[in-house]
Amino acid sequence: MRHFLAILKYDYLQRTRSYFFLITLCASLVIAYTFLPSPDAGYSTIRISDYVGYYNSSWVGYITAILTSVFLSLMGFYLITGSIKTDSETRVGQIISATPTSNFTYLLAKASSNILLLLTLVGIIFLMSIGLFFLYGDSFSFELLQFVQPYLIIVVPTMVFISVLAILFELIFGKYTVIQNVVFFFLFSVMLLYNPKSELQQTYDVFGSKVVTQQMEKTVREIKNTVSNEELAIGYIVSSTQQTKRFKFDGVDFSTPYILSRMALVVFGFMLLFLISPLFHRFNLRERKNIVRKKTLLEKEPITNDINISGLAIMSKNYSILPLFKAEFLMLIRKGKSWLWIFNSLGVVLLTVLSIDMAHQIVLPVLWFLQVHRFSDITTKETTNRMHYYAFSSYLPLRRLLTSQLSSAVVLLLGLALPLLIRYVILLDVQALLSIVLGSFFIVLLAAISGLLTKGNKFFEIVYFFLTYANLNKFPLLDYFGGIVKTDMFWIKHSTVVFLMVVATFFLRKWKLNNN
Amino acid sequence: MVSRSRNNLSSHPNTIDMKLTITNVSKRYGNSTYGLKNFSITMQSGILGLLGPNGAGKSTLLKMVATVSKPTKGLICLNKNNIIKDPNYMRQQLGFLPQDFGVYPNLNAVEFLKYMAATKGVGGTNMDKRINQLLEGLNLMEAAKKPIGSYSGGMKQRVGIAQALLNNPKVVIFDEPTVGLDPEERVRFRNLISDMANESIIILSSHIVSDIDTIADKVAIMKNGSLLTHGNQEDLIAQINDKVFETTIQKSELNAFKLANTVISTARVNGQLAVRYLSDQPRGNSVSKEANLEDAYLYLTKNN
Repeated sequence: MRHFLAILKYDYLQRTRSYFFLITLCASLVIAYTFLPSPDAGYSTIRISDYVGYYNSSWVGYITAILTSVFLSLMGFYLITGSIKTDSETRVGQIISATPTSNFTYLLAKASSNILLLLTLVGIIFLMSIGLFFLYGDSFSFELLQFVQPYLIIVVPTMVFISVLAILFELIFGKYTVIQNVVFFFLFSVMLLYNPKSELQQTYDVFGSKVVTQQMEKTVREIKNTVSNEELAIGYIVSSTQQTKRFKFDGVDFSTPYILSRMALVVFGFMLLFLISPLFHRFNLRERKNIVRKKTLLEKEPITNDINISGLAIMSKNYSILPLFKAEFLMLIRKGKSWLWIFNSLGVVLLTVLSIDMAHQIVLPVLWFLQVHRFSDITTKETTNRMHYYAFSSYLPLRRLLTSQLSSAVVLLLGLALPLLIRYVILLDVQALLSIVLGSFFIVLLAAISGLLTKGNKFFEIVYFFLTYANLNKFPLLDYFGGIVKTDMFWIKHSTVVFLMVVATFFLRKWKLNNN
Repeated sequence: MVSRSRNNLSSHPNTIDMKLTITNVSKRYGNSTYGLKNFSITMQSGILGLLGPNGAGKSTLLKMVATVSKPTKGLICLNKNNIIKDPNYMRQQLGFLPQDFGVYPNLNAVEFLKYMAATKGVGGTNMDKRINQLLEGLNLMEAAKKPIGSYSGGMKQRVGIAQALLNNPKVVIFDEPTVGLDPEERVRFRNLISDMANESIIILSSHIVSDIDTIADKVAIMKNGSLLTHGNQEDLIAQINDKVFETTIQKSELNAFKLANTVISTARVNGQLAVRYLSDQPRGNSVSKEANLEDAYLYLTKNN
């Protein structure tokens, strides 16, 4: 118990004391704020046919709860995953593995820390939802139970399960984080699309949201006096406030089997953790890897040579950034598993053969996203590789080193997009061409700025994931590469944003150099 | 006694006059915590050994001289150029081996050294030749085309030394350079530093006195962010010439003995303890011993 509490406490403190967490907290607040649109907003988040609920306690409580359950499951997973990897990188794990702490105790503490982290965010969103009720729901009475009940029954078990799942995925997929993220996204999509037909099937709903949305649909059907299924839309749905009709939602009477199923989800998660704990590597990865594949180089011969300092060839001054660019580009290419280049090659072929719209709108964002691990640490890799002393004491570090880092990543992205660029050149579509170039700058600069602000690469990876997801769903506001929006104003606006991002990147880097 | 003393460098015919002046430099963290406080020293070509316990401020000082961080106040000048305002003047002639440095594991030694040369703004036709000479001299030629990620700790340390020598540096900073090197490599490294000191200012930081006492022309001792003393080794040792003694005590007496004296070292002899200690008033059966730099270092750091 002592070990458990110690790991839990310090893991939680370590993770909450990061810029990354602070920024995630702010982002959660912003997202939570949008969960409940203002009465005159041009969008809704949950809509049944033309209906949305009056902003009474039930609607505000349940809406924010189910949106939190769904969105925080996705975002939260990417936020909390990697805690074992962090222990491995910081070598804290190796120290823990030499203590009497059992596998299960360690994993349970890690899962519990995940739970606390997500519940911290849930708590903030919960308070925000109450604040929003008082902001928008002026004519309805405040009923605390209508807030507490859905959060307790729907959100908390989901967060516990996702927390445990993050640990399980880390154990199963190890260092293959790309596969881990893709598999989770696939699983998330399956869970989201799950449509229970009976009360029993509702108990299998991991997010716990279907019981609420089906109750809402039922209420609307009764108002409309129809038996046909009403069209339910969840997400940021653009809609006219004038066409929107209102209905009164009074919450859900959760059945005992449903409540038991939510408790069972928690128990099931911990049971899975217990069952898989014997497979935990106890941070023996490096040794295993060395034995199987890469042995540390050993010197067979004793050292006999000496350096004749006065006899060393004298190098001349050379301020070209080309050698820096070359090395940075080489590092980008070599990063990650070499088999990922099979996917890249496939993407390049698809950019060549598919219809130009499909290539631009679907293949390009996916192909670029597949490179996320290569450049997400563009401004943090010096620190993570303990190269920052060299970087900070290099000659003209902003003008030469930072420029070569940014340009190598842009060239990588444009190189991958080359078939599409050539197609647009042939079509003389300058606007599309410029949009892709600006898109590559935008995403690289976003990685650079995120790294400089959060001192890590995770925030960017999460944001980029959602950006890609939004673009695949053709959300025009987040189109960064001109795949969806094709107006004259787009690239003018976009080039202004990119210019400002360049300024911000150089400013932040300079600030960091001066305040190290 | 200094086991190996270098010639006075100011008389060397090839000496280029380099002058590094640090004046009243402080580094403050937060409102009242100082990593370094009012530190002043002047250095010329030769080796300055920087000694001090952990947390003395050695690395803080070296990072500021290496232009990695900026002082909260004070002035650092190289040949009358203010390097706080113009850090690139220092960077062009700097060789820096930080205490806790890393490498890009996916690059091999040649690629890494070319990258480092580019960061320093040097290159040209002689680059390959110099890199090969350095790799040869540091016994890394055989592994030169293998990723540095697969190198042993000692090999990585030698890559670090190689990068510090790439640009024919005039100011060389070695922060705990012998960590990871075996005893033979330490000796070779010390010889290398001695050879370099004819034309360069070399600052060698360590808390291992034996790394310093054989090669340093001058020694600076730091504690709690301040400079305790600075000067020739002989002058530092002279401060405690009559204060080093050795005696034999029972093991049970050790704690009480430590309370009354500054113990330098203990060794087991026939079931008893032979204790080397510093004192103005030695106990009865003590024998006076010749003082060395380690004695002076311990005396100064424990009595200040």
